Amino acid sequence: MGSNIYLSYGTLVSPIGVGTKENFQSLKSGISGIKKEEGSGFKQEDWYLSKIDSIRENRFDSLLELALSNLKESCSGELLGDQKTIFILSSTKGNIDNLPGDVFASARRIIHNATNNPNAVVVISNACISGVIAVNTAADYLRYSDFETAVVIGIDVVSDFVLFGFQSLFALSDEPARPFDKERKGISLGEACGIVVLSREKPRGFSVEYLAGASSNDANHISGPSRTGEGLFRVVGKTIERAGIGRSEIDFISAHGTGTLYNDEMESIAFNRCGLQQVPVNSLKGFFGHTLGAAGVIEVIACLLSMEHQLLLESKGFRETGTTHEINIVQHTQPASIRTVLKTASGFGGGNAALLIRQVL
Amino acid sequence: MKITVSSYLSRRGAFLDTELKFGFREENWLKECYQQLEMDYPKFYKMDHLSKMAVLSTEIIKSGGILNGIQDDELELLFANANASQHTDLKFIESYEQQGNPSPSLFVYTLPNILTGELAIRNKWYGENTFFITPEFDETLFAERLYHSARKGSKLCLCGWVDSKLNAQSAVELEECFLFLVALSKEDTRNDSSSFAITLKELYTSYQASTLDN
Repeated sequence: MGSNIYLSYGTLVSPIGVGTKENFQSLKSGISGIKKEEGSGFKQEDWYLSKIDSIRENRFDSLLELALSNLKESCSGELLGDQKTIFILSSTKGNIDNLPGDVFASARRIIHNATNNPNAVVVISNACISGVIAVNTAADYLRYSDFETAVVIGIDVVSDFVLFGFQSLFALSDEPARPFDKERKGISLGEACGIVVLSREKPRGFSVEYLAGASSNDANHISGPSRTGEGLFRVVGKTIERAGIGRSEIDFISAHGTGTLYNDEMESIAFNRCGLQQVPVNSLKGFFGHTLGAAGVIEVIACLLSMEHQLLLESKGFRETGTTHEINIVQHTQPASIRTVLKTASGFGGGNAALLIRQVL
Repeated sequence: MKITVSSYLSRRGAFLDTELKFGFREENWLKECYQQLEMDYPKFYKMDHLSKMAVLSTEIIKSGGILNGIQDDELELLFANANASQHTDLKFIESYEQQGNPSPSLFVYTLPNILTGELAIRNKWYGENTFFITPEFDETLFAERLYHSARKGSKLCLCGWVDSKLNAQSAVELEECFLFLVALSKEDTRNDSSSFAITLKELYTSYQASTLDN
C-alpha cells in the first residue's frame, strides 16, 4: 500500500444546512429536507422532494458556486489553486439545462474561475455510485500520481428530467422515503453539493485515514438490483481485503438505502452474505433524499461527522424491519464508539462501490 | 502497459487492429454490424447507441478468443466520452415534451455508464468499472488511470472511448467507438505510462484517419 491519505471536510450545501456544522445540527435534531412539492410531477402530482429553496435560477451552476465559495472558508485559496491539487467532480447529469450542449462545461469553468487551479477537472459520471468512485479515484491520484491534495465535489440538482424519469419507472415514494422500512415505497429525489478534501498531509487534531476502495458490477440488470446482492457482496469483500482489516473491525456501515423495495432488499442480502448483519447501518436518504451523484460524497461527509462526534445517526424513516434478511438499522441517534466505517453505494448500470475509512487515534 | 488488441467502429466500418473487417452500406449500420457479426442477442435492439456500439465492438475484440478463460472479476472496465448520454437525453426530453409521456425505456439509458453495465451483463463481468467525461479523447487520463490500476494489481483492462452526439437538428453528428484491451503489470512505471499515452494517441488518430480514406 502507498503513502497515507487523510480525509477532511470541504463543505456541504443541502436543504438542511449550508456548511457541515449546520448540516450536523439538523441531522442530530432529526430535521429532514424532504417536503411535499405541489404540482412537481409530470401530471402535476405532488411528490416529496429535498430541494434547496433559496436557489432559484440556473440552479446547478448557482449551487456549485455557493458550495465553492463556502469551501474557501475552510480551504486556503493557495491550496485550491496549487498545481499539486486536483479537482474531481462527481455528477450524474451535470447542468442538463445546457443540453444539447456540454452539460459538464459550466462546472469545469466555475471550478477554474473560483480556484484558479491549472489542472483539468476529472469528471466522473457513473450513476449513483459516482460519489464513492470519485473518492476512490481521488485516493489513487494521491497514492500513485504526484498530487498532494484532491478536492472531490459531488453535485446534482432536482430537475424535471430526472423527476419525470423516476416517475416513469414508478420509483418515487408518495411520502418521504423510508429506507429499509417495511412500508417503504420508493425514493424521494434530493439535491446537494458535498465537498470532501483528501490529502497526503495529516490534519492536526481530528483525522481520518482512507484505507481502501473498490467497484464492481452485478452483471445482472441495467436498472434493477441483483437479487443475490452479488456485486455489492463482491465489492465489500474486495475493499476489506485491500484494506487488510478484519470484518469485526467495522464499527458502522453507511449504506446506500434508496428506499425502493428491491434496492434495500438487495443490500440486506449482501450485508448478510458479508457477515456484517450485526454492524450498525444507516441510510441518510430519509434526510437528504436521493441526491444521485452527490450521495456518495455527502454520505462520506456524514461518516466523518459520526466519527468526530462519536455519534450514530438515525436512519430516518425507518420503523420496522422490512427486508427478508435482518440488518442492524440505527433507529435512534445515539453515542457509540465509531472508528472504522464502511461506505457503500449501488446504482443504475449494475454498479456497486465501497470504501473503508478509519479515524486516526 | 501494452495494448494487446484494439478495435474501432463508426458508420465508416468495423476495424480490428487497424485493419478494416467490413464496411457498412445500410442506413442502420449498427443493425448491419450486428448481422455481420452473426450475433444472437435480442436485447441488443433495446439498447441506446452507446451501448450498441460498445457491445458490438466488444464482440469484435473478443473474436480472436483473447478474453476466453479470464476470471469473471479479473477484467476492469475504464470508459470515457465527451458527450455523456446527450443522444438519449434529447430523445427522453422529446418523449415528455412532445410525445406526451416520459419514456422509462429511454430514461434508463440517460446515463453513460449504462453501457459498461450492458457489457457486464452480456459477458458476465463482475470487475471494476468507471466512466469519465472529458472534453475530447484524453490519452493522458487513460494512461494515468491505467497506471493507477496497474499499481493496485489489475492485470487486464478493457478501455473504451464511446461517443454519440446529436446536432441541433437532432441528426447524428458524431458516432464512434474505440476500444483497446490493455495488459498491465505491477512493474509498469510512470515512464511506461507516458510513452503509452503517446502510442495510444497515435493509434486513435490512425483509426480516425483510416475511416476518412474509406
